[in-house]
Amino acid sequence: MSDRGTMLTADNNKNSTAAVSVKDLRKCFGQLEVLKGVSLEAQEGDVISILGSSGSGKSTMLRCINMLEVPDSGEIRIGGEMFALKKGRHKTQPADRRQVDRLREHIGMVFQSFNLWSHMTILENVIEAPVHVQKRNRAECIEEAEALLERVGIAEKRNFYPAHLSGGQQQRAAIARALAQRPRVMLFDEPTSALDPELVGEVLKVMRSLAEEGRTMLVVTHEMAFARDVSSRVVFLHKGVVEEEGNPDEIFRNPNSERFKQFLSVER
Amino acid sequence: MDFAFMWETFLTLLPGLPLTLELAATSILAGGILAAIISLVAVIGGPIGRGFTQGYVFVFRGSPLLVQMFLIYYGLGQFRPFLQEIGVWGIFREPYWCAVIALTLNTAAYSSEIFRGGLQAVSIQQVEAARACGMSGVLLFRRIILPIAIRQALPAYGNEIILMLKATALASVITIMEVTGLAGKLIADSFRAFEVFIVAGAIYLAITFLVTRLLRIIEFWLSPHLRLRPPSLT
Repeated sequence: MSDRGTMLTADNNKNSTAAVSVKDLRKCFGQLEVLKGVSLEAQEGDVISILGSSGSGKSTMLRCINMLEVPDSGEIRIGGEMFALKKGRHKTQPADRRQVDRLREHIGMVFQSFNLWSHMTILENVIEAPVHVQKRNRAECIEEAEALLERVGIAEKRNFYPAHLSGGQQQRAAIARALAQRPRVMLFDEPTSALDPELVGEVLKVMRSLAEEGRTMLVVTHEMAFARDVSSRVVFLHKGVVEEEGNPDEIFRNPNSERFKQFLSVER
Repeated sequence: MDFAFMWETFLTLLPGLPLTLELAATSILAGGILAAIISLVAVIGGPIGRGFTQGYVFVFRGSPLLVQMFLIYYGLGQFRPFLQEIGVWGIFREPYWCAVIALTLNTAAYSSEIFRGGLQAVSIQQVEAARACGMSGVLLFRRIILPIAIRQALPAYGNEIILMLKATALASVITIMEVTGLAGKLIADSFRAFEVFIVAGAIYLAITFLVTRLLRIIEFWLSPHLRLRPPSLT
């Protein structure tokens, strides 16, 4: 599986525009420097697992990619287009809110705690962005949404409300919702961390199938098996810097960094 | 108890009911709109907006409605020349409008706090999910924040509506002949306070019963997501 990933990466390296490119990202929360210059590039079809212990900055980095956190400095490009930032007196701000909204349409995000809209049914959740943000035809969106729900295995739940679903079902609905945006890249922020152990598998299965169809994915996770078997590249963050990075087969077998070795021994 | 007299009393008080309902409807509607504006200013108006709205709420929630009504009806009479000059004396001369203004300003203070609570209790996660797919500004407010906030504020706001319905009785002290006003007049004529107030109370009870039913229906209709069982199986 990872061979496929590596080949895909190699193929797409010819392509000069990366799906996502992060350069020298820095971010402080007050006195605490969470990201100390992180760079990362995802080509089309890459599945990048981002590992790291709690507080390493991995979630913050992911949230910077769609500007849910605004970095203090650095560059973020989506399909070659850079988020325009302006330096304020106290903090950096997006220079153009509309550009942020427009780029976000191409980024699907899956959250740790699902974040489905509680007042809408599952189907309404899935068609919300396509109909109201992207202004696509409602009937087509419904058709597409039903196909997506079918794909993640909860078609029969489409008229249920989020509160009536199990965690695993909610997360699969959230994945369908993100896919409905027809995103260029999918971001997963610890998608299985809030789930009961027996529900983790059903979500990972969906994510695995997305990886297999060649979707560009950035996944912050603690699922070592997923990182090893599914991703084309693994990035290990420690204290706000990329400590280790590479092909999962290689770095899981021969980790260079002491910290990554330590991390692996604890996680496994 | 004299049931024949009570029936007569009922027929005497009933003509006051439209005025009671009109006072309540006008001030609840106007107060609701004002409260919506105040709560928005409180949430997105920055420190100045927050300070202004906190001051407003402090004053109108902190003093008795009756005092506010007296101030507007009797107190403003002292400034008649000025009010005439700016052309609003016609409003403050009418006890009806004084009552409406007092009720409106008062309910706006309470309701704005209810709405603010509803808005601020919208979870950041649901807002982030909306932002993450490209929503912002009015669209985000209209599609996500407002519908969730309304559902969260409704039970408390229903309480406020019922309180307002009953607060209209205070308008009787500034000469308005709604249900309580008529009751007072009838007691002065008949000296039978017990029967008259029992009937007046029963009329209010009947209205609030209907209003609570209506509110419950609205709440039920707005909150399928909070019911234990899924609404349908397909």
